[in-house]
Amino acid sequence: MSIFSTGLSGLNAAQNALQTTSNNISNVYTPGYNREVTLLGEARADGGVRVNDIQRQFDQYVAAQLNAATSKTSALEAYRGQVEQIDSLLADRDAGLAPLMQNFFSALEDLASAPSDPAARQGVLGNVDTLSAQFRSFDGYLQDMQDGINGQIRDEVTQINNATEQLADINREIALARARSGEAPNGLLNQRDQLVHELSERLDVRLTIQDGKTYNVSLPNGQPLVAGTNHYRLESMDSPGDPQRTVLGYRDSGGNRVALDEGIVSGGTLGGLMQFRAETLDKTQNQIGQLAVSLGVALNQQHVNGVDLNGEQGGELFKIGEPRAYANTRNAGSAEVSDVRFDADNIDRLTASDYTVRVINAPPSGAADFQVTRKDSGAALDASELSFADPNADGTGATLSFGGVTVTFDDSSDLAASDRFEVQPVRRAAGGLEGAIVDLDKIAAGSLLHGDSDAIASFQAAPGALSGSVSWSLSVSDDGSGGFDIVATNGNPADDLNFSAVGKGDTISVDGVDLTLGELKDGQALALDLSGSGSGDNRNALAMQSLQTTSLVGGSASLSGAYGAMVSDVGNRTNIVQVNLDAQQGLSDQLRAAQQSESGVNLDEEAANLIRYQQYYQANARVIETGTVVLDTILGLRN
Amino acid sequence: MRISSVTMFEQSVSSMNRQQGEFLKVSEQVASGRRVVNPSDDPQAASRAVGVDQSKAMTQQYADSRVSARNSLSQSESVLNSVSDAVTSAKTLLIQAASDTLSDADRQSVASELRGVYETLLGQANATDGNGRYLFGGYRDDSPPFVKDSSGAVQYVGDDRGREQRIDSSRLMEVSSSGAGIFQSVPSGADSVATADKDNTGSVTFKGPQVVDREAVDSGASYDITFSYDALATPPSYTYEVTDSAGGSLMPPVTGSYDPDASEPVRIEFGGLTMELEGQPADGDSIAVRPADHKDNTDLFTTLESALGVLENPAQNDAEKAALRNTLNTSMRKLDNSLDNVLTTRASMGARLNELDVVDQVGSNRLLNYEQTLSDLVDLDYAEAASEYSLRQLGLQASQLTFADLKDMSLFNYLR
Repeated sequence: MSIFSTGLSGLNAAQNALQTTSNNISNVYTPGYNREVTLLGEARADGGVRVNDIQRQFDQYVAAQLNAATSKTSALEAYRGQVEQIDSLLADRDAGLAPLMQNFFSALEDLASAPSDPAARQGVLGNVDTLSAQFRSFDGYLQDMQDGINGQIRDEVTQINNATEQLADINREIALARARSGEAPNGLLNQRDQLVHELSERLDVRLTIQDGKTYNVSLPNGQPLVAGTNHYRLESMDSPGDPQRTVLGYRDSGGNRVALDEGIVSGGTLGGLMQFRAETLDKTQNQIGQLAVSLGVALNQQHVNGVDLNGEQGGELFKIGEPRAYANTRNAGSAEVSDVRFDADNIDRLTASDYTVRVINAPPSGAADFQVTRKDSGAALDASELSFADPNADGTGATLSFGGVTVTFDDSSDLAASDRFEVQPVRRAAGGLEGAIVDLDKIAAGSLLHGDSDAIASFQAAPGALSGSVSWSLSVSDDGSGGFDIVATNGNPADDLNFSAVGKGDTISVDGVDLTLGELKDGQALALDLSGSGSGDNRNALAMQSLQTTSLVGGSASLSGAYGAMVSDVGNRTNIVQVNLDAQQGLSDQLRAAQQSESGVNLDEEAANLIRYQQYYQANARVIETGTVVLDTILGLRN
Repeated sequence: MRISSVTMFEQSVSSMNRQQGEFLKVSEQVASGRRVVNPSDDPQAASRAVGVDQSKAMTQQYADSRVSARNSLSQSESVLNSVSDAVTSAKTLLIQAASDTLSDADRQSVASELRGVYETLLGQANATDGNGRYLFGGYRDDSPPFVKDSSGAVQYVGDDRGREQRIDSSRLMEVSSSGAGIFQSVPSGADSVATADKDNTGSVTFKGPQVVDREAVDSGASYDITFSYDALATPPSYTYEVTDSAGGSLMPPVTGSYDPDASEPVRIEFGGLTMELEGQPADGDSIAVRPADHKDNTDLFTTLESALGVLENPAQNDAEKAALRNTLNTSMRKLDNSLDNVLTTRASMGARLNELDVVDQVGSNRLLNYEQTLSDLVDLDYAEAASEYSLRQLGLQASQLTFADLKDMSLFNYLR
C-alpha cells in the first residue's frame, strides 16, 4: 500500500509546488508580493513527502531599511518637486524682477534727463506699475504654493488615516487567522507590509512588532498611529500661531486638537513638504517681501523730499503691503494685536525673518518683559533691540517695536505670561505692493531744498511738511566761537526758529523737515520752498535714481544684490536637494535590489521550477502507475 | 545574487529615464544657448549674473543719460556760437559808431542795426530745445527766462542753477547753464570798467583803463576820478584826484593838475592801471572805475541798452558828444568782458562734450566687458555641448538597446 501513499504524497507535494510556482508567476509584478517557496520534508511515519510550509521570503531587517530609505527619498522628491518651481520662477532673466527693477531706474534716469517731459513721467509711472505687478505676481505664485502645500498636507493626512485604519483591520484579521489555524495567510502579511511601506512614503513612521505578530506604528515622537487593532487619527489643522498655515495635529485624551511641531515629521512626502515650506518657501517669500518693502519705503522716503509739477510736496510713490501679526490661539491672555506697521525710522533693521513674541512677565512694563525670537535662526533678539511704549499708561494701545516693525496691542494689561504672538513683517508685503500715483504731475522730480548745497549733508521731509505751502529761508552765520547760528524764518517773526552753536553733523528740524548739516560757512543762505522749484528741477529724480546702488535691503545690500543673493540661495538649495536626492535614490535602489533579491520573483527561476515540478509530478504519477502494475501483477497471479 | 524579474525591468527603465533626463538637459542647453538655464544649474554663476546684469543695465542707463546730456549741451553750445557772433558784430557796430566822422543820421542807422543785434541776442537767450523747454532758464525752463520789463529793459527771471545729470556712476555733469551765468556774468580776471558819471557837464573823455602793472592790480577795487576847478588859483586851474569808492584818498594820494588844453591826453596811473583823459572838465565831474564783476558791469543786455540809449539820441553839444564817446567806450569794454564770458562758457561746454566722448568710450568698453563676463558665466560652450549631446544620445540608445535585448531573454521562450 505504501507505494500508493508515497506516490500520492509526492503528487500532492508536486501539485503544491506547482501551485506555489504559478502563484509566484502570476504575482510577479504585484506590488508588495513576496516570493513563496514550498518547503518539502520527509513524512515521518511511513515514508513519502510532505509539504512542511509555503514559506514567504521576507526579510524584516531589509524591509525596515528599505522603508526608512523610501521615507527619505520621497521627502527629497517632494522637496525637489516644490523647490524646482521656485528655481524656474527665478530662471527667467528677461522677465524676472531684476530686469524690471533695472527698467524702473532707467525710467528715473529718463525723468532726470527731462524732468517735465510727460513721456518721461509716463515712463516712470508705467514702470512703477509693471514692477509692482511683477512683485505681486511673484508673491501670488509663492502664496499659491503655500495654499497648495496646505491642501497637499490635508490630502496626505486623509491617506495616512486610511492606511492606519486598514493596518489596524489587518492586525485584527491576522490575529483571528492565527487563532483559527495557528498560521497567518501570506497574502494578509504581504498586504500589511505593503501598507507600512506605503505609509513610509508619506511620512517617517516607527514600526514596532509586538510579540513578533502585531504591528504597532507611531510617529517619530512616539505618538501612536496604530496600536494593535486600534488606530489613532492624525488631524490637519490651522497652526495656532498662524491661521494661514496647515499643520499636523492629533486629538489628546480630552478630545482637544493639539498641533504637532512642524519639525517632528521629517520623512516622506509630508516631511518633505513641511521641510520645504519652513526652509525655503517662507524664506523666499519673506525675501521677496523684504525687497518690496525696502524698495517701496526708500523711494517713498525720497519722494516726499521732492516737489511735484503742481508745486506740492511729493506723496507716496508705492503702496506697500502691511506686516502681519497673529495671537496664538492657545494664549491664556485675551490681548490681541490691534495694529502692526512698518517702523520707517528703523526700516534698515527689517529682516526676511518671521518672529515669535513671547510674554515673559505680565502685565509688561518694559521691553525686558518680552522675548522676541527670530524664527529662521531661533536667535532671541537682544533687549536693546526691542522698545516698549505704553502711551496711555493703562496698557491700551501699548506698542512693542523691533526689527523694523511696531506691534500695537489692544490692551497689554490683558496679556498673560507665556502668551505668544507670531509676527510676519514682510511675508505678504510684496503682494500688497502697488503704484500710488496715477497723475503724471504728481511725480516729484524737483527738490524742496534750495540754496547753498554744501550746507546740508542730507535732509528728510515728513509727509505734510511745510504745511500751508509756506516757504522758509534759513541763513547761516558764524557765532565766532567755532559754531554757527542758523535762523529760519517764514516771514512771520513770531515763527522764527533759532538754532545756535550748531555744526557739521547736527540735525535741525524746520516745519517737518529734518536737515543734517554739512559744511557750514558764514553767510550761506538756504530755502525750503514748495513753489520755488522750476519744472526743470531734476534733483529729486537724481536722488531717487541713485537709490539703485544704495544699500537699502537690511542696510547691507542693494536691491539687485539682495535679489542676486536670493537667486543664489534658491539655486543652491535646489542643487543640494538634487544631489541629496540622487545619492538617496542610489541607496534606495540598492536596498530595493537587495529586497527584491530576497523577495522578488525571477521568471527564469520559476520556469525552471515549473519544469522541475512538472517532472516531479510525472515521476510520482509513474510511481502510482508502477504500484498499480505491481498490484495488477499480484492480482493476476490467480489467472 | 538573485535578480528578480522586477529588478531587471525597473533597472532598465530607470537607467533609460536617467539617460533621457540627461539628454534632455543638454538639449535644453543647446536650444537656449545657455549653460545655466535654472539658477540651480550653477547657483554661484546665476547670482553673479544678476550682479553683472545690473552693472550692465546701469552702464546702459548712463549711456542713455549721456545721449540726452550731449543733446542738451550741443544745443546750448550751438546757440552760444550764434551769441558770440552777435556780440562780435555788436562790438564792430560800436567801433563804427565811435568814429568822429559819423553824422547823427549815420549813427541812427548803426543804432537800428544794433537794435537788431540786441533783439537777436534776446531771442538766443530765450532759445528752446526740441521739447519747447528754455535752454537758459536753469530749473525754470517752462517760461522765457529773459523778459522786458515795463521800461523796456531786459530782466532775468530764470533760476541760477543749471540742471545736472548722472552721466556715469560717480559723475554728475551740469548739462544746462543758467542764463544769469551766460548773459549776466563776466569771467574772473576780466578788466575793470570805467564809466563817466551821467551828470557830468564837462566834455572830458577817457580811454582805458589799461593794466600797466598786473602785480599791483586789485581786481576787486573801485576808484573814482574827480575833477575840481580852483578859481582862486593863478591862473585858475583844474585838478583831479583819484579816490577809493568811499571817497578817501589813496595811499599815497594820486592827484595832480589837469590842463584841458594840453596837446597830449593826460595820463594818470593808480593801482596798476592807467587811464588817458582829454577834454574840458567841469567842477565836480567824475569818472568811476569799477571791477568787471560789479553788478552794473555784468549784464550784456544793459550794456547794449545803454549804448542804444546814446546812439538813438542825437548828440547836440560837446558834453553830449563826450557822453556818447564815453558810453561807447564803456560799452565796448563791457562787451569784451561779456564776449569773454560767452566764449568761456562755450569752451566749458565743449570740454564737457569731450568728456562725454571719453566716458562714452570707457562706457562701451565696460559694456563689452560685462557682456563677455555674462557670457562666460552663463552661456554655453557649443563645442563642449555638442560632444556632450552626442554622448548622451549614445548613452540613451545603448540603454534602449539593452532593454530591447533583455525582453527576449526568458527561459519561457525555450519552453515549447
